[in-house]
Amino acid sequence: MLLDFEKLGGLRAFLIGLTVLVCLFLVLPIIFIAALSFGSSQWLIFPPPSWTFKWYQELFADPRWLYSALTSLKIAAIVTVLSVVIGFLAALGLNRGTFVGREALRALFLTPMILPVVVLAVALYALFLKLGLAGTTLGFIIAHLLIALPFSIISIGNALEGFDKSVEDAAVLCGASPWEARVRVTVPAVSHGIFAAAVFSFLASWDEVVLAIFMASPTLQTLPVKIWATLRQDLTPVIAAASTLLIAFTIVLMVLASLLRKGQKS
Amino acid sequence: MALSATASTGSSGTKDSGFGYLVPALLLVAIFFILPVLMLLLRSVLEPEPGLQNYATLLGSTTYLKVFLNTFIVAGVVTVISIVVGYPVAWLLAIMPERWSRLVLAIIILSMWTNLLARTYAWMVLLQRTGLINKTLMGLGLIDAPLPLVNNLVGVTIGMTYIMLPFVILPLMGVIRSIDPAILRAAALCGATRLQCFLRVLLPLSLPGIASGALMVFVMSLGYFVTPALLGGTSNMMLAELVAQFVQSLVNWGMGGAAALVLLVVTLALYAVQLKYFNPNRAR
Repeated sequence: MLLDFEKLGGLRAFLIGLTVLVCLFLVLPIIFIAALSFGSSQWLIFPPPSWTFKWYQELFADPRWLYSALTSLKIAAIVTVLSVVIGFLAALGLNRGTFVGREALRALFLTPMILPVVVLAVALYALFLKLGLAGTTLGFIIAHLLIALPFSIISIGNALEGFDKSVEDAAVLCGASPWEARVRVTVPAVSHGIFAAAVFSFLASWDEVVLAIFMASPTLQTLPVKIWATLRQDLTPVIAAASTLLIAFTIVLMVLASLLRKGQKS
Repeated sequence: MALSATASTGSSGTKDSGFGYLVPALLLVAIFFILPVLMLLLRSVLEPEPGLQNYATLLGSTTYLKVFLNTFIVAGVVTVISIVVGYPVAWLLAIMPERWSRLVLAIIILSMWTNLLARTYAWMVLLQRTGLINKTLMGLGLIDAPLPLVNNLVGVTIGMTYIMLPFVILPLMGVIRSIDPAILRAAALCGATRLQCFLRVLLPLSLPGIASGALMVFVMSLGYFVTPALLGGTSNMMLAELVAQFVQSLVNWGMGGAAALVLLVVTLALYAVQLKYFNPNRAR
């Protein structure tokens, strides 16, 4: 009866009340930021004395914001492609491999996700200083690829678990080359896993701050680095405007993802 | 059987163990993950001169001891609050009608997917002296002067709990959903009170989920950098900030490496516990 929604009795009111509070706790700061970005107060007084677009104008007037957003987009796009391709191959190997130490390798590939990012950031920074990769786009891509790859391996690996390999073998028996069979039979069959891998990889790079702080140079900054640097100076409402655009972008991605999932079900 | 053997032999011409597929990922991880981490650890015992003096300094001084204490206290408190608050929410989510649970899930996922800096910025603004929370409390007459909610560990704890809650709620919801309601009905039929049902049936059955969620949040909190750096101020450092500070401001790679190793060892040890006792793949 504790697991029957209808028979919870007085407990139900308590659980609902607490859940509503937690939902408010989770959602109010996000709404708050969006509201502040249209408020006229430099000191972020709430509720704002009047409404304005000036923080957005200021945001778009400074080319460094736009430039850092484009840098983020470029790096995230390249990381997404590499992460999906390398992740697909690795998931295939982990899923079908017959070699010893498969589980140990799987754990190894997932470690960058568990490890405190700051350790990875400091270690990579030291290596990149030696290799001349610090402050380069390539350095950024490598760093973000390391933390995006686990997401691809998990998503695509899960999808491959549910795919019967004999379908691919059938294509080979019907005359397809092994790679043709993989690309034209297996890839479409696990496309939902590939899509999830792409979304997670993109977000892993797009939102990443810690590695980015170490990889950045004064001339090469991603959007989170730009926000970080501005935040350390003051709490200007321009950050609220930038944050609101990021939140809007997130909602668009979420809606797209759920629409695609619905489309696949029907 | 024979068919699949022919096909897989045909795919590469020779015996294919499938190892080849792993080569790109393995190269990436070996060169840019294992190698740099090992190099960093090596520096911690080689710089400025060979020996363990970096570790002696790190573990022997009260300044750094305070950093360790801060880290473990914040991670512990965040874990406890997240579980205590998250468990009832996960419980309700697991059993409530789908149209409502979908809304709650959408809110949780929106908060999870919102840029980390945007969320931390929100709390910096909300918690400051003239922020909404202090103003509301003063307006209600509950306090006379603004509470110091930011640039201290209170701020860090609030900001981190905000981030960690979804990571507790989502897996716990799955665990509670997988418990058969008939077991609880049976307990009630046998005369157990509600409290007994909860303490002796529901809670023990969800304990693996609670333990694994708690461990995950604790590990994530230990190594957190962004939120403590922005909400904690300079005098309340946590371990991840210490690592960054050694490298960035002090350019002391020996100490930085030593602090990183401590963080690494604690994290990997807890990860090993997680894998050993709570691995979902093995439980199946």
